[in-house]
Amino acid sequence: MVLIFGGAYQGKVEFALEKFNLSEKDVFDCTDSGDIDYTCKVINNLDQRILGWVREETEARDEFAKNIEALRDKIIIVNDISQGVVPMEKDLRAWREMVGRAMLYLSKEADQVYRVFCGIGQQIK
Amino acid sequence: MNVFISGGCKNGKSYYAQEVARDMAHENNVPLYYLATMIPVDDEDRARIKRHLKEREGWGFETIEQGQDICQCLEGHTVTGDKVDPEGVFLLDSVTALLMNEMFRMDGSVDLSAPERVAKQLVEFAKKTGNTVFVSDYIYSDAYLYEELTEEYRRGLAHIDRKLAKECQQVVEVAYGFIKEYK
Repeated sequence: MVLIFGGAYQGKVEFALEKFNLSEKDVFDCTDSGDIDYTCKVINNLDQRILGWVREETEARDEFAKNIEALRDKIIIVNDISQGVVPMEKDLRAWREMVGRAMLYLSKEADQVYRVFCGIGQQIK
Repeated sequence: MNVFISGGCKNGKSYYAQEVARDMAHENNVPLYYLATMIPVDDEDRARIKRHLKEREGWGFETIEQGQDICQCLEGHTVTGDKVDPEGVFLLDSVTALLMNEMFRMDGSVDLSAPERVAKQLVEFAKKTGNTVFVSDYIYSDAYLYEELTEEYRRGLAHIDRKLAKECQQVVEVAYGFIKEYK
């Protein structure tokens, strides 16, 4: 499993596609509802699905632990939302924390972890 | 050498950028310019400018004010009336304020084509001068759902950042005085 994270609009998908020689059709874009398509090589915007889970009161880390075998050969892209002001809204605060817990789990399970900064990817694991 | 610096708010980016620019000017024995991009609109802004001027005292910077159409300053003058030398070292602080001026106009209108234009102008500025230190702000890791106009601004600034990061020979993130080189 490859985990790629970074702030919004930093070029994370472009980095992943170039690095692993893939194309747009390999990418599944998560929304805040529905199942994740584990047949796609790249799972993008995982944080968006987690926002939905917050509202459904489902723990993201448990969901990933359940599907860990399907995740082993995937490239997972997550927006880093951990560095701003504490949000006023309760669900956004819970979201920020749930993404954090999920990231800790995924980065531990991942073989490679990259952070993308202004279009430049840096391997941190 | 063109240098791109970003990082969170109040992390020491400006101080680090000043050091980089000053050293570069000394090495090349050329003028050292501070390219101020903020257009003051109220007393809070004017107080901030005063504070920044005080902080830069004794560093040897000559100040140039240019809040829009950034390349024009290369044919203009410093605030003390000297002609600008394009061979000098420029500290542009900040890309963030420049986009703000270009995108959100004084008359209240919003120019959505600003990010593309500013990116082009800044890349041109980097090519023309060859010795510019660009300072931007890393505003991309909030856990917040912004309204569309703010998202446009964030997306726009990120677009400029990425173009500049590509163009510059050095790309640095400053995190509480800790310096991380990406390039």
